[in-house]
Amino acid sequence: MYRYDEFDQKIVDERVEQFRGQVARRLTGELNEDQFKPLRLMNGLYLQLHAYMLRVAIPYGTLSSRQLRMLAHIARKYDKDYAHFTTRQNLQYNWPKLADIPDILADLATVEMHAIQTSGNCIRNVTSDHFAGASADEVDDPRVWSEIIRQWSTFHPEFSFLPRKFKIAVTAAPKDRAAIKVHDIGIVIRRDASGTLAFDVYVGGGQGRTPFVAHLIGEGIQAGDLLAYLEATMRVYNQYGRRDNLYKARIKILVHQIGPEEMRKQVAAEFVEVKAQGALALPQAEIDRIQAYFAAPAFETLRDDALLAQQKAQNKAFAAWHDINVSPHKMPGYAIVTISLKPIGGVPGDASADQMDLVADLAETLSFDEIRVSHEQNLVLAHVKQSDLLVLWQKLDAAGLATANYGLITDIIACPGLDYCDLANARSINVAQAVSKRFADLDRQRNIGELKLKISGCINACGHHHVGHIGVLGVDKKGVEFYQITLGGSGDETASIGDIIGPAFAENEVADAVESLVDLYLNLRQPGERFLDTYRRTGIQPFREKLYAAH
Amino acid sequence: MPQVLTANRLLDGEVVYLASDGAWVEELASAAVIATKAEGEAALVTGIEAERNQKIVHAYLFEVIDTGVPLRPVKQREVIRAAGPTVRSDLGKQARS
Amino acid sequence: MPLIKNNEFVDNAFRHIADEEALPDGAIVVSLKRWHAERDALMARNAPIALRLSSDQSPEAIGADVHHFAMIELEFPKFKDGRGYSWARLLRQRLNFKGEIRASGDVLRDQWLFMSRCGIDAFEVDPGTRIEDFRTALTEQTVFYQPASDRVATVLELRHKTHSSSQRASVAAE
Repeated sequence: MYRYDEFDQKIVDERVEQFRGQVARRLTGELNEDQFKPLRLMNGLYLQLHAYMLRVAIPYGTLSSRQLRMLAHIARKYDKDYAHFTTRQNLQYNWPKLADIPDILADLATVEMHAIQTSGNCIRNVTSDHFAGASADEVDDPRVWSEIIRQWSTFHPEFSFLPRKFKIAVTAAPKDRAAIKVHDIGIVIRRDASGTLAFDVYVGGGQGRTPFVAHLIGEGIQAGDLLAYLEATMRVYNQYGRRDNLYKARIKILVHQIGPEEMRKQVAAEFVEVKAQGALALPQAEIDRIQAYFAAPAFETLRDDALLAQQKAQNKAFAAWHDINVSPHKMPGYAIVTISLKPIGGVPGDASADQMDLVADLAETLSFDEIRVSHEQNLVLAHVKQSDLLVLWQKLDAAGLATANYGLITDIIACPGLDYCDLANARSINVAQAVSKRFADLDRQRNIGELKLKISGCINACGHHHVGHIGVLGVDKKGVEFYQITLGGSGDETASIGDIIGPAFAENEVADAVESLVDLYLNLRQPGERFLDTYRRTGIQPFREKLYAAH
Repeated sequence: MPQVLTANRLLDGEVVYLASDGAWVEELASAAVIATKAEGEAALVTGIEAERNQKIVHAYLFEVIDTGVPLRPVKQREVIRAAGPTVRSDLGKQARS
Repeated sequence: MPLIKNNEFVDNAFRHIADEEALPDGAIVVSLKRWHAERDALMARNAPIALRLSSDQSPEAIGADVHHFAMIELEFPKFKDGRGYSWARLLRQRLNFKGEIRASGDVLRDQWLFMSRCGIDAFEVDPGTRIEDFRTALTEQTVFYQPASDRVATVLELRHKTHSSSQRASVAAE
C-alpha cells in the first residue's frame, strides 16, 4: 500500500500544527464559534448531539495493521473504546474532547493518517473498491488512481470553497462495488481495444434530497490527462454551481439544469485550456512510483485448497460463513474475507478497540498486513490463504466478528441517526436492529439471498437508502419518528434510485413492513432472481398492494 | 409550554443545561424550568454571554413537559441528548446514574 | 480597510467609485457595469484604473480589455463563496494578467494562503489585523501538491526533481 514520503508527511504534520494553533485561538477566545466552525470542519471535527465527533479519513478504504492499531489506541485513550466505520470509508469517534483533538491528529500523523477534508465544501475522501488488488475482474488497481486523486485534491487552493461538498469514487472493475454512479464524480477505469487504460468519468450522481444517477461526461480520458480532466470539471462546477440554495448546490443539480450535453461541452472546453497549460499532465515517473506501492504482495504459488471441503463438511457454522463471507480471489489458493460489522441486533459499522486490534493482528499474520474498509461498513481481509480460513474464522468467531451475512438482509447499512447525529430527524440504528433480529435465522436469510437494506435517519442519505434494494428513510412527523420505505434502488453498475412505496410507517411497524415485502418477493420470484430482479420485473404495484392491503 | 436552555460545553462538547443559580449543569433534572417568554429571553442572554466567555457553544431553548419529576423533553432529540444513545445504555449521561 | 501586499501594510492608491458618482482625478476602481457603459471615457483618463468584479462575474467577459487595468478587485461576499479563486486563476493563467489582484470582503485568515496560491497578491483585511498573523498564515503550509498560480514547486516536481524555470515553461508564461 501507499507510504508517505517526506513531502506527504510534511503536509500532514504542518496541518496538525496549524490546527493546534487554531484550537488554541478558539480556547482563548481569539476565534469565536462562527469563525472556528469552518476551520474545525475542514479537519473533520463536528459538534454532534452528545459531544464532538471526529471523522478520520481512510483513503480509498485501505489500512495497514499499524494504522488500525493506532485507530484502536485513539479509541481507548481519547474516546470510549470504540469507533464507527462509515459509508464513506471513514472512521468516526463519537466522544473526543476539543482540547485533545490536536494530539489525536498528531497521533494519526505518526501513522500517515489525517482528518483533512472529511468535512466542508471541498473534495472529500476518495473512495474505491474494497476488493481492489484482489478481485479477478479488475483491469488495474483503482487505488493507484485514487491516491493520485487524493494528492491532487488535498488542500487544492482553488477548490476548497466549492458550492457544496464533493465526493469522488473510483472503480476498475465492471462489477461496481464502490457505488460510483451516485457520486459527484465516479470514475470507471477500463482498457481500450489496444489494452491502454482509459478513464470514463461519470458526473452528477448523488443521493441526498434530490437523488440522481451520474451521466457519462468524459469518455476514454487518457491516464496522463486524468487530473487535467478532473480540474476542468471542478472549475466548471466552482464557477457555475449554484450558491443561492444549499439544497441545489451539488454538481448533480448543475448537470441536471444545464443537461449532460451542455456539461460535456463546457468541461471539454475547459479541459482543452487546462491541458494547454500542461502543468497537470501526470508524468509516467509518478504513475510508476505510485503503482510500485500497490504492487501485488508476495503471493505463494498455491492451488485451491483441498482441505477446505473437508473442513466445511465438519463444521456447519464455518461452512456457512465461508459460503457467505468469503469471495473468490484472483490468485489460486487465496480468498477475500469480509468481516461483517453487522452482528445480529448490533450497531452497523461499530467496532470496539479490542476488535480493531484483533483484526489488525489477523491482517498482519494472515493477509499481508492490510485491511480494507468497505462502503458497506464492513472490514475486508483481501489476501487470505484458503488454508488459513478455518483458523481465521475461529479467531473472528471468538471475538464476535464471524457473523455470516455479507450481502444478506441483515448486512444493513445504517447511518448513526438521531442516536448521535445533529442533523438526523429519526433514529436509524434501532430500526436496523429490529430488522436484523427479525431475520436472524441464517437459513431464512440465505433463502432470501442478496438483499441490500439501507437506512438513513434524514434526507441527507448517509445511510444510502436511495440505493437500497429496500431503503428506509427516517422522518419526523410532529416530533414522532416515522419511516418511509423505498424499493428498487441499487448502487452497483446498474445503478437506480429507489421508488417511494407509500405512506411512512411507525417505528414499531418497519420490521413487519420489510417482512411483508420479503414474503411477497419469495412468492413472486422466478428461479435465480434476487429481490431487486423480481422488483424490476414486476414493478412496484404488487408490493404496494401487499404492503398497504391490511391498512 | 415550559422550556429549558441547553448548549454543549466548549471544552468537551458535553450537553449542559442552565440551572437557576446560573451554573451550567450536566443533568436535565437540575435545569431551571423557564415558564415565561421574558425568562426565556433572559436565559438566552445568559447563553450568549457564556458563549462569549468560551464556556459553551450554541445555546438554545427547548420545550419540556413539566409535570413534575422527571422533567421530560417534548422532542425525541432532546430526550436522547439528556440521556445518551438509545442503542448504547452504557454511554452518555444515562450510564452515570 | 487596511491593505496588505508583499507581506506589508501598504496604502490603498485606488478610490472606489460608485456607478453614479462623477469621475474624480486619480486612481479609481469601477464596476464592470460602469466599464462596459463608459469604456472609452474611462480609457481616455490619464490615471490608473482598476476593475472590481462581484463573485458572479467571470473575468473572461473582459477579454483583452484586462490589460487596461492596473488592478482587479475580486469581491468575496461570504467566505464560503469560492468563485473568486477560479477567477484569480483564470486572470493569471488564461488572460495572462500581470497587475494586482486584490481580494476584498469576507475573507478568513486561513484563506489567505489559498488565495495567494491562486494568484491573488493584495488583501483587504479587517482593521486590527496584525501583520505577523498574515505572515504566519502564509507560511503555515509550505508543501503543495497542485501546480497553481504562485509558481511554487509542487511535490511532484520536488519528487522528480523537474522544477526549473525552463522546464515549467507553461507556468512561467503566466
